[in-house]
Amino acid sequence: MRILFINNWGGGFADYISIEEGTSIEKLFKQKMSSENAENYLIRVNRQPVPKDYILQENDRVTVTPTKVEGALPVMV
Amino acid sequence: MRKEKFMKKYKNIIKLSNLLLDAISELESQRLRQIQAKFEDFGRQCSEAIKDSHLFYAAVERRWFESAEKIRTKVSRNINDFSYYLQRFKEFINTDEPKLPKLSDIFAELSQIDHDLGEYQFDLNEKTISVITEPITLDDISFGPFEIKLDINRISRLYTETPYRVIALEPNPAGADDSVTHPHVSSEKLCEGDGYISIRRALEQGRFCDFFTIIVSILQTYNPDSPYISLDDWEGISCYDCGYTVAGDESYYCEFCDREYCSNCSTYCQICDTTTCLGCAYECPSCNEPVCQSCTAKCKECEDVFCKHCLTEEGLCNNCEEQRKETENEEQENKSKKPETAAAVQSDSMGKTVVHA
Repeated sequence: MRILFINNWGGGFADYISIEEGTSIEKLFKQKMSSENAENYLIRVNRQPVPKDYILQENDRVTVTPTKVEGALPVMV
Repeated sequence: MRKEKFMKKYKNIIKLSNLLLDAISELESQRLRQIQAKFEDFGRQCSEAIKDSHLFYAAVERRWFESAEKIRTKVSRNINDFSYYLQRFKEFINTDEPKLPKLSDIFAELSQIDHDLGEYQFDLNEKTISVITEPITLDDISFGPFEIKLDINRISRLYTETPYRVIALEPNPAGADDSVTHPHVSSEKLCEGDGYISIRRALEQGRFCDFFTIIVSILQTYNPDSPYISLDDWEGISCYDCGYTVAGDESYYCEFCDREYCSNCSTYCQICDTTTCLGCAYECPSCNEPVCQSCTAKCKECEDVFCKHCLTEEGLCNNCEEQRKETENEEQENKSKKPETAAAVQSDSMGKTVVHA
């Protein structure tokens, strides 16, 4: 099953990925961002907040956006 | 009437969506032009390598070993440039091709902004779209709400400049610098830090809600390792001379240049006690004490500047006063010698005699 996964953390990765049928949004988050705490992210499916046991559907659009992003002075090279 | 108003708003949102879509399309064109430029650089390097290869072949065939060796050295030298261009080209060519959004996607983005971040504002004449944040507070310091204003015309220049501004609506700037309205915002420009790439990706792909959300996340986070001005120094004042930050009640104001200084870069006038910076203070050449400009005057004789304490009532410095005394003494001595000198002077008629014709 194919879904669009947009990760606004780091490189801003956005692409279609394949997942198993019956994958919940919580499981996907753990797979993709194992070291991260879900509380620090806005997780949306098809632009809407969903419960963690939401089962992902074909062509769902999942966005993960951190709520804490550290600003920093530009480095002069 | 209500329906007309709704339709007008709806039409404007469609116009805005079209503007945003055009901007994304132009940005994509810029991205492809950059790839083209890197492509050409890489192509030039390849042409050079082919040319060298022909020359090398010809040199070997004619047994011009010295020339062949020179070409080999040149290729060896150029190989670093070649790998640099290859690496740059790989970086550009390997980036994921952003999916260009459709008009309906942009429209959905705008609706999501409304839902997640509150009502956005847009100006079709200025071609801007803005989101206003909730008031931002970091470590108990309040910075008020910020307006994140995206200039649609400048989206296409994303690779060379920042197309948005972060404007403090109720500014509480740092004591040391009025242009710093947030630890990571200076002159309305945000230090994006960890958000740099994701902000650009979001704009490239027309994910405007993500774009605004990431900026809000940066504004709501404090990175103590790299602020323009740290929260610890927020209320402080920066010494104009050395830049050291001091607490507001520990700074020294120089009324002559209208600036604040730290204790090391300020002094006080030894005559009137006025605080002054080291630059405005004047060291009297006679007593070597610092004095303010108001407590100095020129010597009426030599016209050098001294503190008022080192000038006499007649306005003379010590040297000139001494010289004046010496001159007076000499004159006095001269006067006292005058009678003897006068006796030696003969009258007009003395020594003359009448000669008759």
